[in-house]
Amino acid sequence: MTDAAASPPSSTTASAPRPWRPRHVVAREWARANLFDGPVNTALTLVTVAFLTWFVPIALRWLIVDAVGFHGDVATCRTAGGACWAFLRVKGDVILTGTYPFDERWRAQVAALVTLVTVGVALFWRGGFLGLAALFLGACLIDLVFLSGGVFGLEPIDATRWNGLPLVLFLSVFTMAAALPVGVALALARKSDALVIRLVAIGWIEAIRGIPMVAVLFAGVFILPLLMPPGLHLSSMISIFVVLTIFHAAYFAEDVRSGLDDFDKGQIEAAHSLGLGRWRTMRLVVLPQALRTALPALTNSIIGGYKDTSLVAIVGLFDLMATSRLATADVEWQAYSLEANIVVGVFYLVTCVAVSERFRRLARIAGADGDGRS
Amino acid sequence: MPPVEAAAGRPPPKPAPFTRRKIRSAAWQTALALALVAAGYFAHLNITRNLAASGVAIDFGFLTREAGFDVSEQLVAYTPKDSYARVLFVGLLNTLLLAATTLLLATSVGLAVGVASTSRNWLVRNLARIYIELLRNLPKLLILLALYIAMVRGLPLVRAAWTLPGGALLANRGLYLPWPEMPVGAGLTAVVVGVWIAATSVWARMVKRHQDATGVRRPLALPSVLGLTAAIGLALATGLVELHWSMPALTGFNITGGAHLTVQFTALWVSLSIYHASQIAEIVRGGIVSVDKGQREAAAALGLRPGRVLRLIVLPQAIRVIVPPLGNQYLNLIKNTSIALAVGYSDLVGVMNTAVNQTFRPVELMLVVMLVFLAINLSTAAALNWFAAWSRPPGKTR
Repeated sequence: MTDAAASPPSSTTASAPRPWRPRHVVAREWARANLFDGPVNTALTLVTVAFLTWFVPIALRWLIVDAVGFHGDVATCRTAGGACWAFLRVKGDVILTGTYPFDERWRAQVAALVTLVTVGVALFWRGGFLGLAALFLGACLIDLVFLSGGVFGLEPIDATRWNGLPLVLFLSVFTMAAALPVGVALALARKSDALVIRLVAIGWIEAIRGIPMVAVLFAGVFILPLLMPPGLHLSSMISIFVVLTIFHAAYFAEDVRSGLDDFDKGQIEAAHSLGLGRWRTMRLVVLPQALRTALPALTNSIIGGYKDTSLVAIVGLFDLMATSRLATADVEWQAYSLEANIVVGVFYLVTCVAVSERFRRLARIAGADGDGRS
Repeated sequence: MPPVEAAAGRPPPKPAPFTRRKIRSAAWQTALALALVAAGYFAHLNITRNLAASGVAIDFGFLTREAGFDVSEQLVAYTPKDSYARVLFVGLLNTLLLAATTLLLATSVGLAVGVASTSRNWLVRNLARIYIELLRNLPKLLILLALYIAMVRGLPLVRAAWTLPGGALLANRGLYLPWPEMPVGAGLTAVVVGVWIAATSVWARMVKRHQDATGVRRPLALPSVLGLTAAIGLALATGLVELHWSMPALTGFNITGGAHLTVQFTALWVSLSIYHASQIAEIVRGGIVSVDKGQREAAAALGLRPGRVLRLIVLPQAIRVIVPPLGNQYLNLIKNTSIALAVGYSDLVGVMNTAVNQTFRPVELMLVVMLVFLAINLSTAAALNWFAAWSRPPGKTR
């Protein structure tokens, strides 16, 4: 009782109450300030409104009003003027898992789910680096067991049939997880005093960043198997995994380097004078701050790498766009590729926005309790 | 502390030539170098043995042999009877054409959307933000394939081609643009344009000097545009230069006249442009936001109109923030043209892929393509660095 009486009613004293005005007056003033602020803005508003009144009804009619719902059938789709969402009911499995054997497709779905959950856990990870590495390694092994089979009584399934969502998630998440430590090492190597180490790092980073990802993927398919000893067959899945890791590592290295460039040298000297050795200075002082500075750049690279994993379709792996094409290869459903594209697009949009928002928040948190530098 | 003061007077001690750390470092470097040499040797050994198994050896001689396959489009004369070197050159020109046109469109759209996303107009601002967020978060391959399939399926046959404003025609065989033709006086036009560029830059320098001396800004754009219009009008009126537009028109079963862009090229050009425009818009927005709000308010208080505030106060300062990431974006754009393969446009990587499948010479062909891309990238990077140094005002180092 006494405690409550002691605390002042802060909310009313903080700001002077605004005079009450009718809602339409507020709306009119808002519109004048934000939409009709001078002749140029008025013209812009009118043009935009004209565009929207033309475009929005067309889009809504196609998406909803004239569309055939999820439970429709082909016959109604053919006569309807709008989207055919029934396509997704019939061909959803093909888009999701492609040519993965139909009776075993739950395994592919579990693998995709495991990867998604892993990313979710990693984004909210509070433990150390080793725990995170163990998490990704474990998830990767679980995925491999489910996808490839051959153990625990699971029927073995060839890597060429790992299609669609599980493939995209597996390749993008685990190549980037593997590439991050390599990228950090490359960035440090690029700053090394040792000439040979520095030259190797520069060569790797600049050569990879100079050529397109599609060419890197082709190198994985064409060149990497040739480098292996005769008799050792390298599946294109392994080749692609390796070259994607090499590719992402070069980009991550450049991002981390931007963080290292910004780093205050005095702190290294301070750490040395406190008696920290070289590796502990690196691990405890330099890297945490450099990675924090590099976080926005790393976020961009991660989102870009995730989106670009779809390019594996060009070298013959079945990503979500290739499975969408597979789904529309059926003559009956040929006309509905746009529906498949929209669903795949929404998936990418949601996942990219979620991941980048989380990273943006992490950067803000790190900046807030950090040393004050942004 | 007396010892420190005493030490400050003397020169710092010379580092010892052979510390334990230096020896260790040298050992590591030698080991790495040896490992690399060994890896290179085994790679070479394996490649030769693997290639020998399929009956080939590394040899660039095949480049002069007949290629025997056709390409989707070409800028220089090419027939399947030409050599592999020739077809790679055709692919390179296609890549460069796609990159250059995409660069122009993406920059214009990106600049417009970026400025729009900082507009005071609520509707315009939010539409621009939706555009940026939507396209930034979609894979470029998805945008390309969706647009390509929509164009192939949705566009009318050539017979019923859509007429766009300005006389361009759009059909499922591609986009047909009106194209200027200059049968007489092309050389003279080049001279006039050269003189015009020189005169404008001289006038711009005079305007700048006059403004620095007196504070009065003389008109720059208006006299320049008027001068060019007058020169063109004079040349056309006297008949020294003849210019007419070649308009696309349906003759028989095909469209003739004008410039023809294939469906593949149009889909690639538009989809890469709108994708990169969203990235460029975000960069432009970041640059504009980075300019202190007080600068705008001060300019407005001095009586500058909003357009001039943007052009004279905000953009020159924003450009310093914009140029470095924009350069990166241009490099990405050039590399991203290689998704052309997905719709069958004969760019460099696409031609390489066909050639590898025909000749089974992946090592030589990949080497050529990688070197070409490295050369393109290095020269673009050099040009961008030069531009960044040039756009930097004197006295500013960053």
